[in-house]
Amino acid sequence: MSIALRAEGLSYAYPQQGLGLAATDFAAAAGETWVVTGPSGCGKSTLARCLAGLIPHLYRGQMGGRVWVGDLRTDQAELWQLAERVGLVFQNPALQCLASTVEEELAFGLENLGLPRAEIASRIATGLERFGLAELAGRAPHTLSGGEQQRLMLAAALAREPGALVLDEPLSMLDSAAATQFVADVAALAAQGATVVVCEHRDAYFHGGAVRRYAMPGRWSPADLPHPPPLPLTAEAEVLIQGLALGHGERRLFANLDLRLRGGEVVALVGRNGVGKTTLLRALAGLHPHGGRIAAADGARPELGLMFQNPDWQIFNPTVRDEMRYRLASPDEALYAWALQALGLGAYEQTPPLLLSEGEKKRLALAILLMRRPRHGVLLDEPTLGQDDGHRAIMGGAARALAGAGYVVIAATHDLDWASRYADRLILLGRGRVLDDGPTAEVLGHPAAWREAGLVVPPWLRA
Amino acid sequence: MPRQRRARLGARGLALVEDSPLRWADPRAKLALSLCASLAVMLPLKQLAVFMAAFAGLLLWARLLPEAARQVWRLKWILLALFLLDWLLVSLDLAVIITLRLALLAGAFSLFFASTMPGELRLALEWLRLPYRYAFSLSLAFQSLELLGDEWRAILEAQQARGAWTPPTGWRNLSGRLRDLVSLTVPAITLAAKRAWSMTEAAYARGFDSPHRQPYRRLAWRPLDTWLLIGSVAAMAALLIWRYTTAWNG
Repeated sequence: MSIALRAEGLSYAYPQQGLGLAATDFAAAAGETWVVTGPSGCGKSTLARCLAGLIPHLYRGQMGGRVWVGDLRTDQAELWQLAERVGLVFQNPALQCLASTVEEELAFGLENLGLPRAEIASRIATGLERFGLAELAGRAPHTLSGGEQQRLMLAAALAREPGALVLDEPLSMLDSAAATQFVADVAALAAQGATVVVCEHRDAYFHGGAVRRYAMPGRWSPADLPHPPPLPLTAEAEVLIQGLALGHGERRLFANLDLRLRGGEVVALVGRNGVGKTTLLRALAGLHPHGGRIAAADGARPELGLMFQNPDWQIFNPTVRDEMRYRLASPDEALYAWALQALGLGAYEQTPPLLLSEGEKKRLALAILLMRRPRHGVLLDEPTLGQDDGHRAIMGGAARALAGAGYVVIAATHDLDWASRYADRLILLGRGRVLDDGPTAEVLGHPAAWREAGLVVPPWLRA
Repeated sequence: MPRQRRARLGARGLALVEDSPLRWADPRAKLALSLCASLAVMLPLKQLAVFMAAFAGLLLWARLLPEAARQVWRLKWILLALFLLDWLLVSLDLAVIITLRLALLAGAFSLFFASTMPGELRLALEWLRLPYRYAFSLSLAFQSLELLGDEWRAILEAQQARGAWTPPTGWRNLSGRLRDLVSLTVPAITLAAKRAWSMTEAAYARGFDSPHRQPYRRLAWRPLDTWLLIGSVAAMAALLIWRYTTAWNG
């Protein structure tokens, strides 16, 4: 049975960060599918939490207006009553795993419905089968790939047979094949009559006549992009990879990889989740043991700065300024000014880094590594994960500026839209080797290679 | 010894030894066994050494000896520090017995944690009348320890890459070392808090506070569990008798 979701004059202010959602009216009739779009910080995640009732039950901020889940008002009903009617899936599946096996993960929500054991067993079997998880039933959820984890979270939400499903940025961690599969799963669900609300930056994946769109206020414009002065650094870098052998323990990722990476071009490394993109970047940065040779043009070990996938691993100083200048005896002032401006951090110089948005933290991580003046280039691990067009454009502009100054710039990404816009060259990885390598537009037009990689080029990017 | 299968994590993030004969024993029986073994810390040195040899035999039979040894090895610096302190400040006898006691405790609880899944730990705690919300939180915390370890290693690497952490070399520059520690602990605390909050939201979004909860898995007591319990109680009684009929050397 599908359920309508309705918000009237809904607003919310977080206790510390302030306004999370400006006054909003939203209604999804029973059986409708809605995609909610808008820039980072506009309140998409806050709306999702309000529709599922987590706000106001788990949060102590100020909520205005009212939200109904079917005939229940969220501020008056118990949270477990709302959870019986609305399923909620979040952005990062790894942070939602609550059990030590896939089977127990499905059982958790069903136990809370008070179902008989036979019914729980039956629903687990159905969920495992429907989402292709049967062979993984005994595995620990954190050992699954990102795509498998997100499918598990969808299966866990749907096993409870809620009348409505709210998805908060479900595609952000997924490669193109996993994202396409996930969207197909959601479409099948909608076809069965469920109400679905998806808050998503990568909204192009959701298409078709039945999908309705709700644009949150606030829109990014190219005029908002920073216009920094020329980068006060130059390089004539080149990195040669010869016979590279790389793996984790007994698991071999690459056996004999040869690549020539030239300064002056932005290179996108693309492959399925788990193919070894991050490990390759770590090897290039000298952080992962490997066989074979990685050398700069002069034969020495190249100095490449790595921007890690999770910026929270590095942030601990009281201000952005302190963070960027930490442990630098004589910071390059021109570079400091450039990084603040080019990365859109100028207004946050005295802000505690922990209060920045995820996109801003990513850019701060890039600023941190630039301040150490890596000699040959930078390695960007998923530079646009979960970010809106504006944040992605700033990151793209910085990558282009660095390449323009002669640096080697390599970005491991599953954001093919970003790669198609900012990468000069695309290296497609799969089966432990390079499946295709060339100008981005050209590689995007080679369907056989993408099939072999187990990936999908979205229709709007096909040549 | 045959190669052990460690496909999943047991409670507390220890490697779960799938082919241990104790893997499918009831967690209540295993808990009783671990508690009884830990009572041996009361024994004087000679008897403690004999007991530890016998306990090592039990671990060997249960295919848990390598995992228990790994856990004791993890404590090597604490054990060494305790040993040296007691030896220098009191006596060699006390240093040996204190070190052995700590090693025994680590080994005794490895028996439980390396053969028990977090879900089974939760059921055992619920059987002990701990309210579900606390039993669930405890089992989730144990389950997350391994993930926190992975996160710590990632932070270490990320801070090392930016020069905010350097591997320790001697006692010089103590203030720098303390600053290094801040660069590791602040991100670790931030990420742990984020993870805890995300898990809380995920749990409530799937009806964690429902008054209608019915457990899917139930504990099943088998003949092996009865023998384990009898053995544990008998061992505990023997230990107590031995302890109080022997001169105290510890």
